[in-house]
Amino acid sequence: MLQAPTGLGKNIPLSKENAVMKKRNANLFFVVGILLIVSYYAILFVYPLLVAMVRSFYNWNPLKGTEDYTGAANYIDIMKNPLFYVSLKNTLIFTALAVTGRVFLSLLIALGLVSITRGRDFLRSTYFLPVIMPIVAVSIIWLWVYHPRSGLLNMFLDGFGIGKQLFLKSPDQALYSVVAMVIWKDVGYSVIIFTAGLLGVPQSLKEAAWIDGASRWQTFRAVVFPSIIPTFTFVLITAMIGYFQSFVEIFILTGGGPGTATYVLSFLIFHQAFKVFDFGYASALSVILFTLITIITVIQLKVLQKGNEE
Amino acid sequence: MKQHKSGQRILTILIYAGLILVAFITLVPFIWLIASTFKTNHEIVGVPATFFPRTFTLEHYGYIINTFHILRYFFNSLFLAVVKTAVGVYTSLYIGYLFAKFEFRFKNLMYGLIVFTMTVPALVTMIPTYNMANQVNLIDSWWAIIIPTIVLSFGIFMMRLYITKAIPTALLEAAQIDGAGQFFIFHRIVAPLSVNMVSALSIYVFLGSWNDFLWPYLVLNTQRKFPLSVALSMLNGQNNTNYGGLFVATLLTIVPILIVYWIFQRRFIEGVAMTGIK
Repeated sequence: MLQAPTGLGKNIPLSKENAVMKKRNANLFFVVGILLIVSYYAILFVYPLLVAMVRSFYNWNPLKGTEDYTGAANYIDIMKNPLFYVSLKNTLIFTALAVTGRVFLSLLIALGLVSITRGRDFLRSTYFLPVIMPIVAVSIIWLWVYHPRSGLLNMFLDGFGIGKQLFLKSPDQALYSVVAMVIWKDVGYSVIIFTAGLLGVPQSLKEAAWIDGASRWQTFRAVVFPSIIPTFTFVLITAMIGYFQSFVEIFILTGGGPGTATYVLSFLIFHQAFKVFDFGYASALSVILFTLITIITVIQLKVLQKGNEE
Repeated sequence: MKQHKSGQRILTILIYAGLILVAFITLVPFIWLIASTFKTNHEIVGVPATFFPRTFTLEHYGYIINTFHILRYFFNSLFLAVVKTAVGVYTSLYIGYLFAKFEFRFKNLMYGLIVFTMTVPALVTMIPTYNMANQVNLIDSWWAIIIPTIVLSFGIFMMRLYITKAIPTALLEAAQIDGAGQFFIFHRIVAPLSVNMVSALSIYVFLGSWNDFLWPYLVLNTQRKFPLSVALSMLNGQNNTNYGGLFVATLLTIVPILIVYWIFQRRFIEGVAMTGIK
């Protein structure tokens, strides 16, 4: 077999056999790779995506064995379903609050981190801890942090003389409680990205602004922020796409309740698909979710690009 | 000038205070969890709530290890994570290399499609994929969990970026002229030179697998095959009143992650920072 090519490029033993071998190998390597991705994406991405879109026009229930074309019936049913609007509203509130809270907090924390030197690495890796934790485990911990009787938070509130709160058991507080937990869990991720972005802003630019007499806030607005806009865009859009699909935290913390207070689109899809087994209806819902995410992503990109050009 | 300096000092103190407060809020729930694993069930739901255990017990650890058989789920998770990481990282490196250093027809179109897959919610393809798994009799099989992750869009994306930047094409051409075949070049030159990215990606794929919940939850029915996350949610759901046991199981799900994090901390942070800046 082949030896390790020592002294790369120096000796060129191009016997005919070698040349043929080289070519065949190159082809085999290439063909195997292309075959792998073409078959993978065809079977496990393109096909399911098409099935979801086509079958959203079907009465498709694998338990009952139905597979009948029903036109836009699923979509019409969705539009008539009050729970869809509740879930849509909750999804939008949840996403907007989680994205805003996380981006604002992480930017603030990152600005703090880049202005210190001692302990920066330690603090940063501490903030990152919840990010890597299994969402199931984190949700179970917070189930108990929010426990109405014996929870950690109520223990603190008691200490300050504030009455006990119901949190997840209250229709008014449940959604915000879930938002608070996901911000707690995810903030460290964007802290790292923002810190890296902020450290990439050339010191000379900031100094120039200070020499010109700009205040901290002015420097941030005119110099620092514009140079981290790509980072900002990345954090904003990935956070949004993620939160639009949040499922496990709702599943463990509230199960959509109390009542329908924390029903979000992904939970509705899950429920329709795997509890009711109305695959057609659930597919139509998932197509709507996908469309929504795409529209909002495109709008955000457009707005941020415009902001970048100005 | 002096005033300016003391103002600066106060600001620094405030920043430290804020940052330490955030670190405190981050850590307290974990510390409370650890402390609570040693409490009796009576104390856990008791009023007033306690932070540190008043009476110290190890019974929950005994229950979770001997009766709940947490080690079985632990090894299920470990096996799945190792297999998925090995396969997924290998194919990512392979395909990433193809896209970084080869020219072929429809390359940009295919790459665009791969990037596009990352923006499609998993829930959209999940229902048809579940149906497919059902048709080929893979429900309740680990194959249904492994097969969908043999190719990773995110991994391909990261590897292509890395290889494009880190490995000079001239080096590969020189090896080719020396008569090295593509498989040789890939395994002996591209792979060793990508070791940084391979380890960063491995950590993420491993974690992703360890933390994965919804798909294994849907696909598996037999309790003995559950990974930790699914077993944990079952323990939480089944009208469980053994709260201490639940806490121990939660803690033991987290601990392996903590250990991995402790060892690879730097790689973790660099990996995330890399994805963000580009």
